[in-house]
Amino acid sequence: MKYQPRALIAEVTHRCPLHCVYCSNPLEMQKRSEELSTEDWTSVFRQAGDMGILQLHLTGGEPLARRDTAELVQAGRTAGLYINLITSGVGLDEARLDALVAAGLDHIQLSFQDTEEATANEFAGTRSHAVKLRVAEMIRQRRIGFTVNMVVHRRNLDRLEHMIAFAEATGAQRLEIANVQYYGWALRNRDALLPTREQLDRSVPILDAAQQRLQGKLRIEYVLPDYYAKYPKPCMNGWGHQQLLIDPAGRVMPCHAAPVIPGLEFANVRERPLRWIWDESPAFNRFRDETWMPEPCRTCDRRARDFGGCRCQAFLLTGDASATDPVCTLAPAHGVIDDILARVNGEGTPQWVYRIDPV
Amino acid sequence: MSELTPEIVPRLAPGCRLNATGGAEDLLLIPEGALRLKGPGRAIVELCDGVRSLRAIVDELHQRFPSEEVVRIETEVLSFLTRLRDRGVLEAI
Repeated sequence: MKYQPRALIAEVTHRCPLHCVYCSNPLEMQKRSEELSTEDWTSVFRQAGDMGILQLHLTGGEPLARRDTAELVQAGRTAGLYINLITSGVGLDEARLDALVAAGLDHIQLSFQDTEEATANEFAGTRSHAVKLRVAEMIRQRRIGFTVNMVVHRRNLDRLEHMIAFAEATGAQRLEIANVQYYGWALRNRDALLPTREQLDRSVPILDAAQQRLQGKLRIEYVLPDYYAKYPKPCMNGWGHQQLLIDPAGRVMPCHAAPVIPGLEFANVRERPLRWIWDESPAFNRFRDETWMPEPCRTCDRRARDFGGCRCQAFLLTGDASATDPVCTLAPAHGVIDDILARVNGEGTPQWVYRIDPV
Repeated sequence: MSELTPEIVPRLAPGCRLNATGGAEDLLLIPEGALRLKGPGRAIVELCDGVRSLRAIVDELHQRFPSEEVVRIETEVLSFLTRLRDRGVLEAI
């Protein structure tokens, strides 16, 4: 294997009790009747362990919307994987958390939409904030890895200091301040969600100071909105380089947004061994090396660092998945980003649209 | 942050553990990935069991590697554990 996969992202369901305005799940979601069974996932995890994959991220949708979450955790541990549950917390009670811990869960990443209940519920399109607070307390009482994930955007970024204090009080070891990434439903609501440049400029010194003050106590990771970056993000650390994602119906993809790219066919774990899909399938090899790159990427010093950015974003914003990611200031299509930022920094905030759940 | 002293009792932070023995490499699995452990790294982390003090860990390593000077072992263990602590994967109790 030329590329060694390290992490498997298992989207075990698209069902979710939340209706976040920035949901990154695809516009077309898989139905419950199409979801892989416990046995299917158990086989996948075993194959992943054999391939040298270290980490399993159980996510969705809301992974707790399935009844077999503890069985999935156990299957992952049996396969030798480190298990991270990415959850809204909705559906978790003391008994269920105990069962997950007993099954070998290593770490929980709990998402929050804000520190204020009213707006948190507004962004989530559901009354979930109070539940999350109770879940955070339940996690704190157990010896398990705990990350607070705070999703930030124009309407809440000004509360960054509160968010950091809030995360400290939960007893979490890590805080992820994750700016919304504009895929799936979030792209539809982008102009209502992108922070202004002024907001971003204010946030940087706050984060720097907090990182210094909390070193060794609370690790703070900050994901910038790449629309404001000079160079693109090294999306997934390279297409098919380290990570793979399996959707609820068993399709294996280099990332969760990849189905937006026309012409890619994703092999299914119901039909093919995971190792074949990783090594041989055309979708994983499509953007793996540098042969697809256009100029300026092809001769750029940074091409081994950021891989030309995100293929999905390139397609979504330019209509060409082989274009340089337009967030790159060197990209021929960077004008698209300039236009969006001019709009976002100039006009009022438009209304957003809520999404509904799959059947 | 305070210095680590011989009296502290180190242990891995929640959400951090060693990979199974006998694998291709020694790894400390942590929430955002894995840290590759070189040389005596694995042995040192195994001794951070929440029971032994830092002093006891150094003594134990000295018994295992008697040809190494205690001072050298102590310096190495201290710098290794300080790095782990600053990384948030080790706590002192």
